[in-house]
Amino acid sequence: MEIREEKINDVDVLKLEGRLDASSAKDMKEKVELLTKENRVKLVIDMGGVDFIDSSGLGSLVSSLRSVNKLGGDIKISALQDQVRAIFELTRLHRIFGIYNDSDAAATSY
Amino acid sequence: MGIRSVKFTIDSNLENVPLIGMSVNKLCLSVSFSDIDAFNIELCVVEAITNSIKHACCGELGHEITVVFTLTQEDVMLDICDTGACPMNPERLDKAVIEPPGINLLDIGGIAEGGRGLGIMKEIMDSVIYRSKEGENCLTLVKKLPVK
Repeated sequence: MEIREEKINDVDVLKLEGRLDASSAKDMKEKVELLTKENRVKLVIDMGGVDFIDSSGLGSLVSSLRSVNKLGGDIKISALQDQVRAIFELTRLHRIFGIYNDSDAAATSY
Repeated sequence: MGIRSVKFTIDSNLENVPLIGMSVNKLCLSVSFSDIDAFNIELCVVEAITNSIKHACCGELGHEITVVFTLTQEDVMLDICDTGACPMNPERLDKAVIEPPGINLLDIGGIAEGGRGLGIMKEIMDSVIYRSKEGENCLTLVKKLPVK
C-alpha cells in the first residue's frame, strides 16, 4: 500500500492506495504515529484508492483514531469505495468515524 | 456439472495472502456471485489465512498453508488449513461477534483494535466450521450460490 501526504489548510490528508490489510496495517499506524509526534492530529484519510480492507486494516484505523483523540484530534475518512464502505457498516465502525464523500468535505468539517 | 476444486498453497507470509484472496474473488465472480459477494468471500478467506499465519503459525515463516476452493451445484466451499503449533480454541469461534454487546461508541478506548475477523466470517458466510485433528487445523467456509 502507498501513503501520500497532502495538506488542505491546516489538515493533514493521507491518501492511501492499494490494500489496507494485515501486511500494510503497520505502515498506516506508523504514519499516524509520526504525525502525532509533531502534534499534527487533524487528519483526513482519503481511501479512494483502497480497493480492499480487512479487520487488521480496520484495526489500524481504530488504533490511529485512539492516538489522535488522546491529543484532542480526530480522523475523518473520505472517498470510500462501495465495497469498503460496506465493511465499515458491517463492523459498525461507520458510527465512530466521520465519513465524507471527498477530502475537501472532510477537511472543511473541522 | 459435477464437483470441481482447485488447491492453492502458500508459505505463511502475510505478503502472500492477497494472491489467494484475489484468486478466490475472480473464481467467485466466474460462478455468478455479485461483486459485493465476491469481495466479501475474499475478505473471509483473507481473514482465515491471516489468522492461520498470525496465531496458529505464531507469525513464523516456513509453514505451509493450503486453501481448497470447491464448487458444487449448491455452494462454494473453502477449506483453509495449516499445520501450525498453536491451534485455535474452538470456543473462540462459538463466541465470536463483530461487536460485543454493550459497547459504548463514544468511548474509543473501549473499542477493540482487533478480534473482528471471526465475527466477520460468521456474518458473511452461511457456515463456518473449525476442526483441529492430528496436527492439522482447518477452517471450512461455505457460501450458497446465488439463486438464478
